[in-house]
This record gives sequence, structure tokens and C-alpha cells, in this order.
Amino acid sequence: MASTLKEYDVCIVGSGAAGGVMAKELSEGGAQVVLLEGGKRVDPSQFLSHKWPYELQFRGLRNEKQAMFYQGDVRESIRYEDSDNVSADRMRVVGGRTVHWNAVTLRYAARDFREWSLAGVEEDWPLSYEELAPYYERIEAMIGVCGQDDGLEILPGGSHYLPPLPWRRSERILQRATKPMGIPVIPVRKALLTKPFDGRPPCHYCGHCMSGCDVSAIFSSATAMIPKAQATGNFTLRQNALAREILVNDEGQARAVSFIDTTTGKEEQVRAKIVVLCAATVESARLLLNSRSPKHPNGLANSQDVVGRYLSGHVGNGVNAYVKELEGLKPSNLDGATDHVFIPRYNHLLPKTNYVGGWDIQINLTNYMFPRQALGLPGYGTEFKSQVRRMEPGLLSFGIFCKVMARRENRVTVDPHRVDAHGIPIPVMHFRFGENDTALWRESNQSVQEICEKVNSRVFTDAGEKPSGFASHEVGTVRMGTNPKTSVLNSYCQAHEVKNLFVTDGSTFTTSSEKNPTLTIMALSLRTSEFIKDQRKKGLL
Amino acid sequence: MERRTALRIIALGAMTPQLEALGAATHCAMQEGTAWMPADYKLQFFTPAENELVDQLSEIIIPADAHSPGAHAAKVSLFADLMVATSSDAVKAQWRNGLHLFQEAAAKSSPATAIAEVAAHEQHPTSDLERFFIVLKVMTVNGYYTSEIGIHQDLEYIGNTYLDVFPGYPPLV
Repeated sequence: MASTLKEYDVCIVGSGAAGGVMAKELSEGGAQVVLLEGGKRVDPSQFLSHKWPYELQFRGLRNEKQAMFYQGDVRESIRYEDSDNVSADRMRVVGGRTVHWNAVTLRYAARDFREWSLAGVEEDWPLSYEELAPYYERIEAMIGVCGQDDGLEILPGGSHYLPPLPWRRSERILQRATKPMGIPVIPVRKALLTKPFDGRPPCHYCGHCMSGCDVSAIFSSATAMIPKAQATGNFTLRQNALAREILVNDEGQARAVSFIDTTTGKEEQVRAKIVVLCAATVESARLLLNSRSPKHPNGLANSQDVVGRYLSGHVGNGVNAYVKELEGLKPSNLDGATDHVFIPRYNHLLPKTNYVGGWDIQINLTNYMFPRQALGLPGYGTEFKSQVRRMEPGLLSFGIFCKVMARRENRVTVDPHRVDAHGIPIPVMHFRFGENDTALWRESNQSVQEICEKVNSRVFTDAGEKPSGFASHEVGTVRMGTNPKTSVLNSYCQAHEVKNLFVTDGSTFTTSSEKNPTLTIMALSLRTSEFIKDQRKKGLL
Repeated sequence: MERRTALRIIALGAMTPQLEALGAATHCAMQEGTAWMPADYKLQFFTPAENELVDQLSEIIIPADAHSPGAHAAKVSLFADLMVATSSDAVKAQWRNGLHLFQEAAAKSSPATAIAEVAAHEQHPTSDLERFFIVLKVMTVNGYYTSEIGIHQDLEYIGNTYLDVFPGYPPLV
């Protein structure tokens, strides 16, 4: 019997960086689009970003300000087995991780797409920087990115930047110290407005980027993309709709997505000619693996046992340094926009190393409203208290991100015997760092220590004995590639085995680099949306 | 909060997801933000004697001085009571035992002497009491510097506002 359900042209799963672009582009292109989002919208007026700690029950500890972005049981519905110290950052809210991010937006360099060709490791991406560059350009113009083109091969630039953020004095001191070392300090590139743009106001320098921007000066799919899709009249947003599995027809092609309405607990379906997964690295793999059928007994698009594999991300590490020449200055408002400057990868400029890849460094200011030095400074009493105060103006917080090599044995699986609150099998992470990852982590720590010595600072660090990840930058699991035996998607993020199935989030990355993945995710999503529009026009989808 | 957790929070301050993961792993309840009212607060975990001891010890760690009031005025002991009362049984046991050890040490001399003796081993603690001092200090730091007194009177923090122009400090010459 024919279904009476409305059939949409496209069903998108997930409303973050990838889903927002896809929804806007396809809706504006005339397609009838439905988007399933597991969470509900939180209006920026409800954000707790500007609350003082003493206005909150637990003083802002215990994730108090950001708990509203992690809805339902999303935090609990995951397991780690045989894993090193890693964690995946999964959110459930309209806008996904773009409502709670630092918005650093970096283009991959040409070399980042060619690890096999240049270093003999991993695989090359099935597309080049030159092919993706026009889409980087369009995304930067679309979302508003502050910064500048610094003319660096390792960090290609565009031509649509908003003015860079002003620098703090500590950041000038850092630049002065690293220049003789051959290490550049440049303005950070962030999807943050330094002047009015696209109906949104500029940054007001409160420092609360990661707690949710209450005026949407930081780009969020929820406030900058989804409303544009809704304005077309072609777009339907289903909130609280947690995708369970993708259903297929007799030919094994996607025909519908089943989901749980988390407000009622009831299972529903939405029919669509095309399905696009934008649910992020862990959830997209989980959804495909949970979509088993006679045509796809190992999960959808997984006849080669590649879905879930090649899980990668970033080694994350942090060092707080306090510049001695700034000790004792009178208090000033240093909140700003968290990070104003950036150190791009520089180890490729050094003599030949015995590892592949590199690291970059975000220079954050993280002591707004709380003096982190007080947690590391030894002693007590009046002198301790005075020293905490004196150190406050000089913070340089180094956020170090290292490449992690994509290896087949690192993976996401699902276990049908372990389910979430709605009976859906949960993801299980299996991840071990490799020798190359550990070497990068060790080298980057040593390099940052050398920088801190040149700056003449007091240093607080806890690199630990082993690396940790993923700094919210997990990628891989549904990788692109030219070989269907070692990849799931082609260069247009289209499944080799299911032509009306696309995936455009971080899971698509063939390999990772040291760079934050979000801009590349958005560029890939834009490129795929163009492909889908073209294929629809030709009647091929 | 464990010493190791505290140090990792320093190190990973730039990386909120890890911070959240740590928070989720080390604490139990998460609640919507609500104003905290010390004036109405009733002890949930500490006995009155324990609360008095925490009040004394925290004031020694962050005392009142000519610049600003200390941990006693900031009611750090009440903050500590709330945090411990809403933590795991293991954390509660650690505090009950740690305060007992401090009570014994203070009885032999004074709270100030007891603090001085254990603080000398802060970098390399070996006994339960020395390890508990670090827990107590982290709690005191967290409680004091998230209070109105710590933020506004001691640090003279002037941020968390809406600015048209980023002020910072005058640029480096």
C-alpha cells in the first residue's frame, strides 16, 4: 500500500555547521526540505553567558552555563572501550555545536589534502584544495569571518575578511618573543563579527564565546542559517526529533528516516527522495550502523566495513603562561573575544622531523571572571592572595591542537544490547593514539615550553604522561575517497553504494590536519548542496 | 575537586569540551542556574563543628587583608558544604575524613600551624592530610574567586559587560 506520508525532496539530519548550510542552500534552491534535529531551540536571550558566578547555584562550575545545549541523555548515551583519554563532544540543540564554539575558522592548506602523495601515509583526499577553495571563499563571505590573509602557504587566505580583532598587550609581547624564533603570530580568523554584518551586531567583547553568544555576533546555524531556510517557505524544522535509522526501498536506496519524537516517545517516519546526514562524526556513523536491512546487513553503505572506522580528531593540550613584565598592572577589561591572535603551524619550517603533520596554537584569554592561576600557584595566605592579583593581567593561554593520524582500527561501533533512553543502540568508541600522534604531542609541548621561556613567564601546565583528545574536533568514520573499498563517500560526499545518501559533516574527512575542521565542513556542505541541486535538475536524483 | 582535576582544568582551560567532560565525570547533579542565597542557606553536609573548621581553615588560606575581605566574609564554607553535599559518596567520605584529620592536627597545635605544616608539602603530598589540604585549597579558591567579594573587591574585575570598543591596555611601545 502506498504511503500517505508527504514525501520531501530532501531530509537533513542535524542542524549544526553542515546542516545549516545544507538547509539554507537547498531550500533557497527550491527543494522541499525537512530537517530532523534531536534537540530543541534555545533562544539566545536564555543563554547564561553574562551571569555572574555567584548568581548561579554552582557558581558556573559543573557545566552550568552550557548544560542547556546538551539536551536529553546525550552525555550519557556513549561508551568508551579499550580507549585512550579521548572524548567526543556531542550536542543536542538547534544549531548543534555552532551555538557553543569558539568559531575559529581555518582553511585546510593544499598539503593537508595530500598526505599520501607528500608523506606516504594515510590517503589523499578525493578532492584538492583548488577544488574546494571557491567554496571556502563563499562560506567566508556568507558567515562573516574576521581576520586577514597573511600570505601563508600553510594557512591559505580569502578576500572577504572583516577587520581583525585588536591585540592585547600580552599578545604583542608574545609576537615580539617568537619573531626571532621564526614563529609567526597572526590575527585569529573567527566567524565573529567586528562590524555589523547580515543583520547581526558586532562583538561586544564580553569573552563568553563558548557559553553562547547572546547577540549572535558569533556565527550560529540557529540564528544565521535556519531562519534563512525558514524564510523560503520550503523548509520544515522538526525539533526534538532523534533519528533512529534510515529506511531503504527494494533497491537499497534511502526512502525515509525513522525518528523518535522525544517529547512523546513515539516513533515516526519522514519520507524523502534524498537523505543528507549532518549529525557529526559520531552520530552519523551511529545512524548508518543502526540502519541495517536485508540489502545492507552491516549497516547502510557499509558493505566494506568502513563506516565507523578511521576515527580521528585532535590531540588537545593547554598551557597557561603569565607574562612577568605585565605583573602588577592595574586591572583592565581584557575579556575581548577569547582569542585575538593565532600561531599557525610552523614545524614544517623546521629541519626534517621524524613524524608527519604538525600543530597550531590558539592564544586564548580564559581568565574572565576567574583567576585560573590561583589553582596552580603554590602557597596560601596574604602573599598568595596578592600574587594571584598581580598575575591576573599577564595571562597567555596556549591551546595546542595536533594532527591525529587516521587509522583503520580506531572506530565507532554500536552495540544493540546497549541502548539510550529511547531504545536506540548507543555509539561505542574505540580509540588508541599511535606513535606519530604521541610524537607530535611531545614535540608540541616542548616547543610551547620554549616559547614560554622566551616570553619570560610563569608557566602552569599539566601535559600528563599521555596525550588526550579530541578537543571537540573529532573527524573521520564516514570518510571520502576514490576507492570504494577503503571509503564510504565520493568527492561530493555521496555514498558509493547509495546514490541518494549524502554525508557532509566532519565524519567525511579522509584525514585530519592540525586545523579546526568547521570551515572545511561548511565548504564541503556547500559544495555538496551545489551537486545535489545540479543532479536534481538533471533528474539524476 | 581532585588535585589532578584542578590542574587539568588549568591546563585545558582553553578547551571547553574537555572541561565539560571532566565536569561530567567528576560531579553528579546538574541543575539550572539559580541565584545562590547564603543568607538563607542551611547546612546540608557539614556538622556545625565541621563548618566552623572549614571557615577557619579557608580564612587562613585566603585571609582578609588591607586590600579586601577574605574567605570567611565570602562564606566559602557554605559554598563548600553545597558542593560536597551534591557530590559522590567518595567525595563526601574524603571530606569527612580530611576534616577529621585536620581537627586532630589543629588540636595538637592550632589551625594555622596545621595549615603551615601540610602546605610545606603541597608540591609533593604524601599523607592523606597533605592531599586533603590541596582539595581544601582548591575548594577555597573556587568559592572565594566566584563570590562577589572575590570578583569585585579583590580582583577588581571590570569585565563581563557590553563594549563598543575593546579597551585592553595601551599597546606595547
